[in-house]
Amino acid sequence: MSASVMESGTVVERTDVARPSFAAVLRAEWLKLRSVRSTWWTLVTTFVLGAGLTTLICWGNADWLASSEADESPGSFITWGMMIAQITAVVLGALVVTTEYGTGMIRTTFAAVPSRGRVLAAKSVVVVALLGVVGTVTAFVGYAGGNFFLDREGIGLSLSGDVLRSMYGSGLYLAGIGLFTVAVGFLMRHTAGTISSVLALMLILGNMVNLIPGAFGEWVTKLMPGNAGSGISTPVSFNPNLLDPWVGFAVFCAETAVLLAAAYVVVKRRDA
Amino acid sequence: MIRAHQLTKRFGDRTAVDGVDFVVEPGRVTGFLGPNGAGKSTTMRMILGLDAPTSGTVSVNGHRYAASPAPLREIGALLDAHAIHPGRSARDHLRWMAASNGIPTTRVGEVLDLVGLESVAGQRAGRFSLGMGQRLGIAAAMLGDPPVVVLDEPVNGLDPEGIRWVRTFARQLADEGRTVFISSHLMSEMALMADHLLVIGRGTILADCSMAEFMSDHAASYVRVKAPALGDAANLLRGRGLDVSRVDDEIRVTGLDAAAIGDTLFKHGLAVHELTLVRSSLEDAFMTLTADSVEYHAVVEGAA
Repeated sequence: MSASVMESGTVVERTDVARPSFAAVLRAEWLKLRSVRSTWWTLVTTFVLGAGLTTLICWGNADWLASSEADESPGSFITWGMMIAQITAVVLGALVVTTEYGTGMIRTTFAAVPSRGRVLAAKSVVVVALLGVVGTVTAFVGYAGGNFFLDREGIGLSLSGDVLRSMYGSGLYLAGIGLFTVAVGFLMRHTAGTISSVLALMLILGNMVNLIPGAFGEWVTKLMPGNAGSGISTPVSFNPNLLDPWVGFAVFCAETAVLLAAAYVVVKRRDA
Repeated sequence: MIRAHQLTKRFGDRTAVDGVDFVVEPGRVTGFLGPNGAGKSTTMRMILGLDAPTSGTVSVNGHRYAASPAPLREIGALLDAHAIHPGRSARDHLRWMAASNGIPTTRVGEVLDLVGLESVAGQRAGRFSLGMGQRLGIAAAMLGDPPVVVLDEPVNGLDPEGIRWVRTFARQLADEGRTVFISSHLMSEMALMADHLLVIGRGTILADCSMAEFMSDHAASYVRVKAPALGDAANLLRGRGLDVSRVDDEIRVTGLDAAAIGDTLFKHGLAVHELTLVRSSLEDAFMTLTADSVEYHAVVEGAA
């Protein structure tokens, strides 16, 4: 970087320091995330719900699943808890963004890092990384717990193929939901509004569109973010009329990308 | 150095800042004074690139703040002391800020020492008193050891000891050659702190002068004269080319000191009951200057 020097030889611009790199912004966002208790509570809840409920539901249903009356696959139960744990991913994604708007700290953030795109990107990366890891670990622990009971009934699942995919798929889906919520958070700026609208979209609206008749309704259902994205997190979906796991996840990623792009444009233009 | 040129900000049809021009010079404390809603905070947010000007420009050290190679080393700002996550400790708050601009973590301890928060640095900021919050905000502003310091209402809610501390601190920063820009809606506070004044009202600059100039220009004085033959006294003094105005049962005279006025009246055999030099306070001067530009007037019952 060149110093702009006046004729008298006085340096008028401070150029002795490098522009804050993306790595620096990333480190800052990571420090923010890990220095508040809400992050850890949210992650503990993710783990308890994800692994705990999977174990519990397998324990309660193993007997029935092994019987001849069973009309569901054990594969639908082995990541059951992740369906509930996605709520905590929404909460984490929202908190990372909306608490800053709620307290006004976003101004401190944007004053420290005027390039707002970097802030959005750094928040996205830390949320995706953290939820990806925690989601995957949670799914594995849930598998270990749930499969113990399935195994006892002789219907244990081997950790390969679709079952294995659903493990890191759970991590990917949670990361995706977190990212989706980060984008919504930047657009809405309110904690309660962000959390409730994402949950309503994923859990309520995603099921309600089922009621739309005909092929149109079928497609809308398949394309709703929660329905498209969640296929990857389970070996066998309860709903047979969904997109293939990877196709669905690609659709979900595209929807998330559109929201992120919208958030980027809005955040760049809007007064902080 | 901060330089604003025709800086304008409109929110819908309300003009918050209306084509202001000013330069905030280094080496002195510049007070940014104006009633609430005058456009102080909006101007400061535009300096920091948080609000985009509707038109006009503002530069810090010769360029737009957002184009700064190292923002926190360029300008340190305290905008709102409450703008901190209540669950994060003071030290962690400063650590992420330092990290974002590649400032060494050792600097965090230094600024905590500087503002006297070292002993409570591990506490969650939500438990901080207003004064501690202001100190933390100032510590954050000083992280990058910046040549320009912008403080928005730094003494708001502080106790006298805290106010004195901010005053001394601002003076010290200016003496070190830094540009110090401090907003306040309290003239009395500015009178003690600022070398230079920038008075804003309804988005326009009403005064841009040194503190001393402001005092001599705006803190006007007059001599109050009460006399039984008030009309005669007034005519006599007017005849001497003095500026005389009659208010109720007194006349106000400017242009001559009290002793000379008394002598003049005595020579013409006029009895004098009162002869007082009245000096309006800076607060009064500020009120007068901004009277037309106050956003919200309180209506006092029974007052004229």
